[in-house]
Amino acid sequence: MKVNEKCVGCGQCIAFCKYEAIEVRGKAIFNSACIACKACIPYCPVKAIEA
Amino acid sequence: MKAIIIGSGLGGLLSAARLSKEGYEVEIFERLPIVGGRFTNIPYKGFHLSTGALHMIPHGPAGPLAQLLEYVDADVEIVRRKPIAVIRVPRKKGDTDYKYGHKDLLFENFRVPFSLWNRIKLMYYVISTRKKPPTGQSFEQWCRDHIPQDWTYRISDAFFGWSLSLKAADVPVEEAFEIIENLYRFGGPGIPIGGCKGITDALVDVIRSRGGTIHTSSEVTALKMDNGKVSGVIVNEEEHDADIVLSDIGHPATADLIDEKADIEGMDDYIRKTDKIKPSAGIKICLSSDKPLIGHGGVLLTPYAKRVNGINEVTNIDPNLAPEGKHLTMAHQCVHWNDIDDIEKEIDLGLEDLKDIFAGKEYEVLLIQSYSNGWPVNRSPSGADLRNRTPVPNLYIVGDGAKGKGGIEVEGIALGVKNCIQDILNL
Ligand SMILES: Cc1cc2nc3c(=O)[nH]c(=O)nc-3n(C[C@H](O)[C@H](O)[C@H](O)COP(=O)(O)OP(=O)(O)OC[C@H]3O[C@@H](n4cnc5c(N)ncnc54)[C@H](O)[C@@H]3O)c2cc1C
Ligand code: SF4
Ligand code: SF4
Repeated sequence: MKVNEKCVGCGQCIAFCKYEAIEVRGKAIFNSACIACKACIPYCPVKAIEA
Repeated sequence: MKAIIIGSGLGGLLSAARLSKEGYEVEIFERLPIVGGRFTNIPYKGFHLSTGALHMIPHGPAGPLAQLLEYVDADVEIVRRKPIAVIRVPRKKGDTDYKYGHKDLLFENFRVPFSLWNRIKLMYYVISTRKKPPTGQSFEQWCRDHIPQDWTYRISDAFFGWSLSLKAADVPVEEAFEIIENLYRFGGPGIPIGGCKGITDALVDVIRSRGGTIHTSSEVTALKMDNGKVSGVIVNEEEHDADIVLSDIGHPATADLIDEKADIEGMDDYIRKTDKIKPSAGIKICLSSDKPLIGHGGVLLTPYAKRVNGINEVTNIDPNLAPEGKHLTMAHQCVHWNDIDDIEKEIDLGLEDLKDIFAGKEYEVLLIQSYSNGWPVNRSPSGADLRNRTPVPNLYIVGDGAKGKGGIEVEGIALGVKNCIQDILNL
């Protein structure tokens, strides 16, 4: 998973990942816990998450 | 009459609730799987964080939003308790930060740090500006011309940074005085029980109880046009017809939904105006602590911090916003447009501020949330909002891209919705 340049760092995706796989500080980054389930994608308000 | 509303943010929900009260059939399409836009709660480690707002209603139980909520029969409780705002200043006169200790002033006493001469001038301006409000410059420039003192700039940057996520230099003086007038008229902030979601959920209940529908995970991808008017929206390649369309996604994004080939009078001029809008940006830092960091439900303004403008601790009003025995504290800082590309540095400065402001206290940083561009603090900076109308006669904009004059944040949204509905009903 990766985020594109549209990510503003709002942290909304974090709340919807069951695997604590996202960290946010100005921008979202995915850590090694990510299983690429894509559950977070629709929750991003600016369509910044890409598989 | 059928109204379609694009977006289920506070502006969309308020409009739908208000129109359904007038007998309109309302249907809302929301792109996200959740309702409420930047005004609902997100669960995180047992806390009710939010998608945007700091769980705060700028004029509490008496302002334009509270009045509109009551009018549409929404079941909400907004609590305002004293002190409504406190200003943190360095303990020693002459210090310019909190490193060597601080003391707190009640907001009512904000005049104390002014020089005697400026206090006298202020008394005069309080009266004279109400009779004849100044125009044509920024609030900061007005201050420099009339009450030039370090304290003036600090307190106005903290206040407008907290309330509008703007620097005083970016607030038109007309808007600033209208806001000050509204503070006298409606009073200071309050916290909604249940946080932001307490408000948006109550609106959802109202809309559904009057037969309105709300579709989530349903993005509007285009407007259906007919002879210069909008006749519906396209969602998942399906057409949905309506007599009027209200859009809660701001002027520029709404203009993008109109086919370039549609021949609409005034469209070029409109696009030119919408292109100029610069959304206001900001950073919210959410803290968790066992013991209260602030100890009351009002705002703590921090005019001597490098970046943080103000902080609130909502659990002093609604303890259920945090797990039992914990407090939820949220700091807000405005991010100037020039600094958006350097957001990590801005975050670091905010975190340093919090160490000084809460020196000697224990807390944990829960989440750092930043907002700009496509998901901003406000789609239009206060004082520069375009009105609700668009060049398409039955297409209207609501929400924080079309706020009413002098309305801080959601109060501006409520005023904008009120203006818009009046305009629609007078047709
Ligand atoms: C950090 C921060 C702190 C804030 N603090 C406060 C505060 O304490 N008090 C206060 O009063 N205000 C505060 N605000 C401001 C307030 O949160 C916003 O002004 C308000 O929530 C905006 O509501 P809206 O209805 O205008 O827009 P939104 O909430 O953005 O709603 C628009 C909705 O439209 C949806 N949408 C977008 N495109 C489409 C499409 N094509 N089709 C369908 N749906 C679509 C979006 O997903 C969204 O849900 C704060 C904001 C931020 C970011
Ligand atoms: S893809 Fe799944 S596991 Fe990875 S961050 Fe998104 S929700 Fe979490
Ligand atoms: S929800 Fe989207 S914009 Fe917000 S932090 Fe996650 S990826 Fe970035």
